[in-house]
Amino acid sequence: MKVIEANKLPGLAAALAGAGYRVVAPIRDGGEVRMVVWSPGAAIDTRAIPVNSAKDFLFPKAEIIGRCTLDGNDFRPEDVKPVAPKTVILAARPCDASAMLLLDAVFNWDYKDEFFNARRAATTIVSLVCTTADEQCFCTSVGGAPDATAGADGVLRQADGGRSFILEPLTEKGKAVAAAAGAALAEGQAKADAPVEVPVHFDAKAVTEWLGENFESPLWREVSLACLSCGACAYACPTCHCFDLQDEATRAESVRLRNWDTCGLALFTAHAGGHNPRPDQAARWRQRVMHKFSYLVERLGRLGCTGCGRCARLCPAGMAICETCREIDEARKAAVK
Amino acid sequence: MLKQQFARRFLSICAAGLRTRRADWDRTGLMAETETKKVEATPAVFEPKIVAFVCNWCTYAGADLAGTSRLQYAPNVRIVKLPCTGRIDPLFILKAFEGGADAVLVSGCHPGDCHYTSGNYHARRRWAIFRRLLEFTGIDMRRVFFSWVSAAEGAKFADLINRITADVRAAGPFERTNPARRRLWK
Amino acid sequence: MEMIDALRADAAKVLADGRAKVVIGYQARGDHRAPLFVTTADRAASLVYDDACKQNLAVYLRKPEVKLLGKAAVVASPAAMRSLVLLMSESQLTGDDALVLAVGVGEYHGVLELAQVAPLLKEKYAALAPSPELLREIEKLAAKTPEERAAFWAKQFAKCTRCYACRAACPGCYCTRCIVEKNVPQWISTAAAGHGNYAWNVIRAFHLAGRCTGCGACEAACPQGIPLMLLNVLLGQEVEKEFETKAGYDPEAKPVIGSWNPEDEEDFIK
Repeated sequence: MKVIEANKLPGLAAALAGAGYRVVAPIRDGGEVRMVVWSPGAAIDTRAIPVNSAKDFLFPKAEIIGRCTLDGNDFRPEDVKPVAPKTVILAARPCDASAMLLLDAVFNWDYKDEFFNARRAATTIVSLVCTTADEQCFCTSVGGAPDATAGADGVLRQADGGRSFILEPLTEKGKAVAAAAGAALAEGQAKADAPVEVPVHFDAKAVTEWLGENFESPLWREVSLACLSCGACAYACPTCHCFDLQDEATRAESVRLRNWDTCGLALFTAHAGGHNPRPDQAARWRQRVMHKFSYLVERLGRLGCTGCGRCARLCPAGMAICETCREIDEARKAAVK
Repeated sequence: MLKQQFARRFLSICAAGLRTRRADWDRTGLMAETETKKVEATPAVFEPKIVAFVCNWCTYAGADLAGTSRLQYAPNVRIVKLPCTGRIDPLFILKAFEGGADAVLVSGCHPGDCHYTSGNYHARRRWAIFRRLLEFTGIDMRRVFFSWVSAAEGAKFADLINRITADVRAAGPFERTNPARRRLWK
Repeated sequence: MEMIDALRADAAKVLADGRAKVVIGYQARGDHRAPLFVTTADRAASLVYDDACKQNLAVYLRKPEVKLLGKAAVVASPAAMRSLVLLMSESQLTGDDALVLAVGVGEYHGVLELAQVAPLLKEKYAALAPSPELLREIEKLAAKTPEERAAFWAKQFAKCTRCYACRAACPGCYCTRCIVEKNVPQWISTAAAGHGNYAWNVIRAFHLAGRCTGCGACEAACPQGIPLMLLNVLLGQEVEKEFETKAGYDPEAKPVIGSWNPEDEEDFIK
């Protein structure tokens, strides 16, 4: 059993960085914990749920996917290769790890996205069994669990009451990370701590069923009243994957960018002629819920929500997708009676 | 033989002429100059790029007067003419810095002289506040200039440009510390 | 009677006698506070109010779906009341568009008509000021070199994901099409990086110069924890110093940027 003392996690990060990995870990900076690239001296914090999700390192918020230059009168398109450094994401929450499976499916559903795939191939995910959760966590309602390992190449288990961690490789990539860690991991014995308990808030299958029949339900207007139209939820979400293509050109050079975009904003579906098929926030909030709990299930057989709760934690207007699903579940039960 | 030599010489003069014209044309274009990414050699004296947003009725006419009076002034300024200082959106300044300007000048009619009565008064308020914001977010105030130059003040315009150019030359290139700069997408 | 009981009683009363069709207030969801839209008197008991209520509910008065519910009575702190006055001065609200359930500092002022808000603010809350910590922070930053300030903001703006939660949370940001959405041409790069993030955050702050009422909803809304109030308060201070006015006290006030005075200071114009 590979064991590491809790206060030696930076040593593990250093060993992996030394072995050529870009190490991403939950780092505390001031009042908040974020998934960022580890650098010597950074404080790894496995207790708090990071503000951002691990998605950021596979599908960055802005990325160049094309480029062309103008030289004299010659217009020259240039081939842009993905930037995909060998990366290990340490202590990703299980909800972030399982989100990778959905992203894999989306980015390979029809068109094979070389940018995502190159980074995915170069990335090893070592998830962390959750021993802490908060009131916004609802992974158990969407088929996840605090100790789930879906999407992970290895798993860190907190042990001996938080004094140490057990690293358990699950795939070849995971084994390679364990090997690269070298002496940072010791052979030993430790007793894994029990994962935290996360209560089930709703029945996801029933929600999917209800959504199939209730596109026009008056409930949408009710549950979306507080929504103010921003992208806080989508950009914090480990599975949201919508983007906008923008060309930024100067005389000498122009780039084609892939920027995050979100169905929460009115401009997302605004047509050039002025018509907007999603005219109000009720339609946009419906889209968000439908996409995650109905369309993706129909197309890819997978929920678009892993229950991380970030959207609710960060929403400036107190919107919570878990709350909406619970209300849907209740509406369905009421209708059955 | 001579004829051939002459022909070759003539052609090379034409080509040189074309090259110069091309270079001249390039120099007039703000984007061309500010977006050039290859710098062959660092010139001994730093030549700042200054973008001047001026109004059509006073400062542009003042600049014109400087020209028709054959006044010499620093060639470091790229003039962008607008109907009125009231038309100058703060975004224009940001855009100039984004494109790599070392300094920005905004100039229009003296108070009371605005062609549209009050455009310069509106502008004055805007800049009083906006410059504080630029300063607070890290743009050095040695790189933002405001002036009033009337259509009769050709000499003032020439002096202004010379003074600004000297000041910005002393401040050095803004490239490295410019927070608004569009870094080349690498 | 406890403040919250008085608030609930008033909410129930305005709904029962039809003076308002919806009360926009706060509800508790664990440690979080979320907006609550109460349309029937019997649900008024779910309203809460405490220091955790950071959102400025005046923002909902512009939302079309909320407008469809009918006339609203909105729970407002002094900062949110200033937003209402700002909206009146900018012709976004008129006399009987809304009622106000006015929550003061340590006391409750009851149900007010919009016209009563400004007199109350002038009488009781004329000296509302940003926190001393915030002012110290601004001073500290202002004392640094431009390069240090640029580095400070580069680190902060790098976090920005361009979710526009700051804009969404602000009652003053009511444009139906924001400058960042003007895309012919795209004035402000939408890439959440470098120059786009700088331009967006600077222009957002500037568009609120002389208009920000200091409620802090933008900073509270920012999922990335960018200290936006440093910018807003700095501009508020400048406006107060240069033009001797504070946003949100006078429903007849002319906008600071958009009006002028021949005597305006111009020592920076050389």
